[in-house]
Amino acid sequence: MTKVDAPLRIEARGLVKEYPGVRALDGANLTVEGGSIHGLLGKNGAGKSTIIKVLAGAVHPDGGEILVDGEPTTINNPHAAKALGFAFAHQELMDVPNLTVAENVLLGLGYPTVAGSLVRTRAMRKRAAEALDRLEADIDPAAPLESLGVAERRLVVIAHGLAAEARMIVLDEPTASLTDSEIEHLDKVLRSLRSDGVAIVYVSHRLEEIFNLTDEVTVFRDGRTVFEGKTAEMSRSDLITRITGDSVATAVEERTPHVTLPDAPELMRVEGMSLPGVVEDVSFVLRQGEMLGIAGLVGSGRTELMRLIFGADKPAAGEVWLHGEKLKIRSPRDGIEAGIVLLPEDRKGHGGVFNFSVRKNITLPQMTKFRLTKPIPVPSSRRERNTAKDLVERLEIKVPDVEHPARYLSGGNQQKMVLAKWLDSGADVFIFDEPTQGIDVGGKEEVYRLMTGLAEAGKGVIFISSEFNELVGTCGRVLVMREGWMVSEFEGTLINEEALVGACYEHEASPNGA
Amino acid sequence: MPGDKAPDAAGDGPGTMPVAADHQAAVAVESSQGRPLGPVLANVAGKYGLLITFLLTIVVFCLLRPDTFATWENAEAILTLAAPPMIIAVGLTVVLVMQDFDLSFGAMIGLAGGAITTFIVSDGIGWGLAILMVLAIGILVGVANGFMVAYLGGNSFIITLAMGTVLTGVEFALTGQDTVFQGYPPDFLNIASGTTFGYSNQIWIALVFVLIAWMLLDRTELGRYMYAIGGNQEAARLSGIRVRPYRVIGFVAVGLAAAIVGILLISLSGSYSPNLGGAFLLPAFAAAFLGAAVFRPGEFNIPGTVVGVLFLGVIQTGLVMLNFQSYVINLVQGGILIAAVLVSRLGARA
Repeated sequence: MTKVDAPLRIEARGLVKEYPGVRALDGANLTVEGGSIHGLLGKNGAGKSTIIKVLAGAVHPDGGEILVDGEPTTINNPHAAKALGFAFAHQELMDVPNLTVAENVLLGLGYPTVAGSLVRTRAMRKRAAEALDRLEADIDPAAPLESLGVAERRLVVIAHGLAAEARMIVLDEPTASLTDSEIEHLDKVLRSLRSDGVAIVYVSHRLEEIFNLTDEVTVFRDGRTVFEGKTAEMSRSDLITRITGDSVATAVEERTPHVTLPDAPELMRVEGMSLPGVVEDVSFVLRQGEMLGIAGLVGSGRTELMRLIFGADKPAAGEVWLHGEKLKIRSPRDGIEAGIVLLPEDRKGHGGVFNFSVRKNITLPQMTKFRLTKPIPVPSSRRERNTAKDLVERLEIKVPDVEHPARYLSGGNQQKMVLAKWLDSGADVFIFDEPTQGIDVGGKEEVYRLMTGLAEAGKGVIFISSEFNELVGTCGRVLVMREGWMVSEFEGTLINEEALVGACYEHEASPNGA
Repeated sequence: MPGDKAPDAAGDGPGTMPVAADHQAAVAVESSQGRPLGPVLANVAGKYGLLITFLLTIVVFCLLRPDTFATWENAEAILTLAAPPMIIAVGLTVVLVMQDFDLSFGAMIGLAGGAITTFIVSDGIGWGLAILMVLAIGILVGVANGFMVAYLGGNSFIITLAMGTVLTGVEFALTGQDTVFQGYPPDFLNIASGTTFGYSNQIWIALVFVLIAWMLLDRTELGRYMYAIGGNQEAARLSGIRVRPYRVIGFVAVGLAAAIVGILLISLSGSYSPNLGGAFLLPAFAAAFLGAAVFRPGEFNIPGTVVGVLFLGVIQTGLVMLNFQSYVINLVQGGILIAAVLVSRLGARA
């Protein structure tokens, strides 16, 4: 690793970035110096990823300036960022699955070649192995990337930053889905990079990591920088207050969870649901009027389990019983007709048709309701509009008109639009997969209220979340999944964040021990 | 294995970017009310640019050839000439709406021509029955394409390309690649050459086909589902829409349209020569993509396709009347297609 000659200083001042209907950055500042680890904090949607994209040259700000070592600099494209010595380990893995590990580690850095064009495979693998060794990652450089798990792929992305010998490395949620020992290695590597004079920007939602690792922090809220300072001078509660801006964050924990009466009748029973390697023999019961939380890490099989129940994927084995009757579900359509609806995790990818208007999205699952005359499958736009308007009002979806394209809605309003599709469908079971992801605090509160409202109306609600405090604040019972198995169940006052986290992280635990 | 799953996008990644506070969204919406003139013009140009260009082209040709182009007879001739490409382009639009491709219809047109000729001339089957048989073949081919694409997961591009080769093989097997000049009954020839209410039957057939497809796509549940599938197939599936049968229906629409066109071409010329459908491939795609640049930019739509077909027809006739050589017509048509595709990208982005 080359030593960095002069300490780097990067200053972003007053950055503004506007998207249709949204200000992702609204006067954001960030000052990063070589030889320090800089924590970047803020809720989802606070603008962290946007400012990183600006530094990476992937997004062009509408206002503000960037100074590198005091020089005003424009970063027009990723190539310019690379030339400045910036490397990025993005949250979404930016890698090429069909290439080998070595090819990914050195991607865009220039492969060692013979005669200027033929790639020297062995030399390339050696260079990649050096970067991987620094992470103490036991990964074969010759292996195709797609053969690796998410955690290993994340290490490959970080190794790419190392191999780039960057002056600044930005890590966006690097520890998501890494094991404790991998995180330890990573911390060690980051500290050694710091002593080499590299500037490290570290984005994380895990406060322990921030306190453990960073020298300074910058806190973003609603696209603005609200705090810059030394980590050592902060207390945990200080930091939380800075991030949330008010007491809303604690509000979710202070909520009274929706508790089902103990004698509430069984609504849905899942037995032996299996998809080998993904979901392992999962059984559970959902009672009428229950808010059932599902906790687990990404890759624990929670999303996959729900897709199997709903009919989006085919299980290898397993039964679903609703109202004491065994269901035959082979497609989402079957699931919907039986009375189970799924609000998918990947809202953008699966939740709606975003070139459609809000009206067309809302009416899509139940087109037959809006026919001009019953037998003829011709919908009445007026009827559709009335229903859509009614739902938009009831769910307080902020949109100027129901004919407005859905893609211009904010995340929270999109989520409410997806719920609006199903609200009057007469479904009995509502499965919400990460419904508050990427939604601001006020929006989250509304989603909790809507879910609780469904449970109070006697529906069964399943709530999957990675933010466990949400489950603590809303659910009367929480199930924990790990590596495909349903490993624990917590009820009532036994539900707390530490217990859920603990149940999620017990590594390599034998499934029989559950 | 769970590792195959996409990484946790719990943060503010690109997918979840527009999440700032709602009041900001409201502010942005308000500010778009008092629109400056520039974006309005851009919007009009995006939506109606092609239509305006189309009308201007007509005006130019009328001014250049007032005696021949600017006549009612010529307009009728252009409409008649445009009828077969109209039928196939409209069928193609249905598939394109669902983001599928069909490259087999050129060969299907040829097969339909060969089959109707063999049935009537060689086998002596009554022409009415022969037509029904050929339409059935068209539907069958559509079902086969659709099944392989929607149910077996084949790439529609390559499946239909291969299917086209198969169909041409079947055509040649049926006809022995012999050209046929006679043996069609007069009533059969009258289908395309005859007139109803003073206009060519071809125009009427195309009109009926256009109206049905238009109603289907823009007015029925079926059409809504098809657009939803094109917009976001997985979201449509998770909304309980049976995606696969609808995709099959799209290919059936193309197969049926190709069968009709094949029959019409034979009926019109009273003769059969091998591989008569190849010339329809590019114009049909050109018209559909031109159509996606008008009315609803970025979205395939029947009114747009109709304008696209007529536009290409007008250019073809006009350039011929101005005594341009055929290579010029090729250059212009190809150039227009490229321009249209790029313009529709602009429209989709706006």
